Amino acid sequence: MARERKISFPMVANYNSVVKYFVEHGLNAAFIMPPKLTRRTVEIGAKNSPDYVCAPFKTLLGNMVDALEAGADTLVMTMGLCRLGYYAELQEQILKDLGYDFEMINLAAYSTGKNRDYFKAVRRLNPRVSLGRLALTFAECLKMVEHIDEIEEEYYRNCGFERHPGQYKKVYDRFLLNMELARNVRDIEAGYLKAKREFQAILLDKPEQPLRVGVIGEYFTVMDEFSNLYLEQKLADMGVEVHRWMNLTHRNIHYQGQKNLGVQISEYCRYEMGPTSTANIWCAKNYAVHGFDGIIHLKSAGCTPEIDIMPVLQNISRDYKIPVLYLTYDSQTSDTGLMTRVEAFYDMISMRKQVVQI
Amino acid sequence: MKEKGNTAAVTARTPVIGLPRALLYEREAVMWKAFFSSLGMRGIISAPTNREMLRLGAEAAIDEVCLSTKIYLGHVRSLFGKCDLILVPRVSNYGLHRNMCTKFESLYDLVCNVFRNTGQRFLAYNVDVLGGISEEKAFVDLGMALGFGRKDAVRAFRRAGRAAAEDWHKKISREERLYRTDQIKVLVAGHSYLTEDAYIGRPLFQYLEEMGVVPIRADRVDRKEALRQSVRVSPTIKWEMSRELLGSIQMHKSKVDGLILMSAFPCGPDSMVNEMIIRKFPDIPILNIVMDNQDGTAGLETRLESFTDILKLKRGEL
Ligand code: SF4
Ligand code: SF4
Repeated sequence: MARERKISFPMVANYNSVVKYFVEHGLNAAFIMPPKLTRRTVEIGAKNSPDYVCAPFKTLLGNMVDALEAGADTLVMTMGLCRLGYYAELQEQILKDLGYDFEMINLAAYSTGKNRDYFKAVRRLNPRVSLGRLALTFAECLKMVEHIDEIEEEYYRNCGFERHPGQYKKVYDRFLLNMELARNVRDIEAGYLKAKREFQAILLDKPEQPLRVGVIGEYFTVMDEFSNLYLEQKLADMGVEVHRWMNLTHRNIHYQGQKNLGVQISEYCRYEMGPTSTANIWCAKNYAVHGFDGIIHLKSAGCTPEIDIMPVLQNISRDYKIPVLYLTYDSQTSDTGLMTRVEAFYDMISMRKQVVQI
Repeated sequence: MKEKGNTAAVTARTPVIGLPRALLYEREAVMWKAFFSSLGMRGIISAPTNREMLRLGAEAAIDEVCLSTKIYLGHVRSLFGKCDLILVPRVSNYGLHRNMCTKFESLYDLVCNVFRNTGQRFLAYNVDVLGGISEEKAFVDLGMALGFGRKDAVRAFRRAGRAAAEDWHKKISREERLYRTDQIKVLVAGHSYLTEDAYIGRPLFQYLEEMGVVPIRADRVDRKEALRQSVRVSPTIKWEMSRELLGSIQMHKSKVDGLILMSAFPCGPDSMVNEMIIRKFPDIPILNIVMDNQDGTAGLETRLESFTDILKLKRGEL
């Protein structure tokens, strides 16, 4: 009998519980939860990566080292648009050159344009996998993603206004833990409903017109709180209602598609400018139209597609007179440096709001 | 040059098309010129890159974009007032695993947004084979958008395609001859808009020649074969132009003394592909040059000299 694989998948935002669930229940294999990202992760990643590759490459590489050291023998890495589609092959090469012994399942190698070829990758992970079970688990995973995204959205919109500090965070953390521990779909649903109920019971002191900021930007950095140095939490703590559209639910599971979003921003662009460009431009315009107080656009250094939409965002900013803060993250970005810029932005938008209201 | 039968489609005055001599120009110039001229249109090409142009481009650009984009914007700006429409293509991909850098997806809208209030008009064609738009369809649509009939546009495209293929054939055979000299040979792998750029890439070629080294352009290669070879080195590499370069290195590695990788800071594809090349070809001496500033060539000479010395030493000529 073949030995059981110990599979890991690098940490992205809060979604690792989903991957864990899929591996354990859909593939019937052991999942090694990659250790939480730390400064060390980033340092190891940066040290072994080419200089000016975009930051997610470095962070994910560091996290793969963490996972291998935690005992994984098989790494799965996603395919993707943009440079992401080439991450896995180069990461595998770098890790093997460093001397690590493991198997990489590179989904990009299975990207042939036909979805059923991804099933071949699954077969490699576990040859005896049952298709029915896989499909069922997959559907349950999508549910979990939707729940995580919904709870997270609610969290960042309100946690800055609670009467008794810390209540939101407690519920939110317990919810994430429940998702990580979920053994079946009942656990998932129960954890979700519990968090919803508990959120509702928390007392809020929220002004009628709170400061509202929309956060947009590069897929990985905008979703992964460690990588963006907890930007949303920082804003919320200042008393801001934080909105972020970009998550798997919106961009992947229920994406409206290039055509439907594209027509809504046709005065700014005629074509799809990059993998998440249409969504981000559409979001920015949407926030502007709905009278948000500011937009924060973030990306990792050297991220070509996000740099390229900046002239469009500048035009939206001019047309709707909405301030936009542009943040670029690399492995050297410091917490204090970021805080200074975010505070200055906060001061500016709150002053503007007072002036506008008078 | 005028084709029979299309004059009726042209209104009072035929618009003049501006072609920025940057990014895809070097790759597509023959195609573009032949296409427009067989439709009876006139074109104007921006001057070779100079310092002032780069300054203008950098001024218009977001500071973080790659050097090639800054150069491009400089060329676009230099054409203002000299033509009616400036051609800015949008190319997403030529098929599966044949993507372009996302820059070429964004370029048209990028340019339109940067120069929104200038009154300048731009002209696009859009290639997206995975999305069902072949190169032929892109050009035919372009021709029709300019007011020509489908038949004329198709004929112009085919004619242009033949001209481009012929020209390419000549260029490759000229390059092929270089591999047969006895002098020290260096394969230069870089995007054609860098290697051919008067301000950025040409000086490097001149230095090398002055030092008695024969520089050979890696991108001038039988493209089909290079694409085939590239996946033998790197199975999931996805960018058309990087694949051509990688394949070319694989095909020619034993025929040259060294390899120079030339890229623009901070180039997306090169940041990864060049790392892969360095790891996959440990036996060839490699010099990795990243052009990142406005005064391009400072310090370059010294690096080229010591690299040449290494190559000479290896050959026993020093
Ligand atoms: S979107 Fe940006 S960060 Fe992501 S792979 Fe592309 S360049 Fe890198
Ligand atoms: S391939 Fe590199 S140099 Fe060329 S446009 Fe893209 S990022 Fe710029």
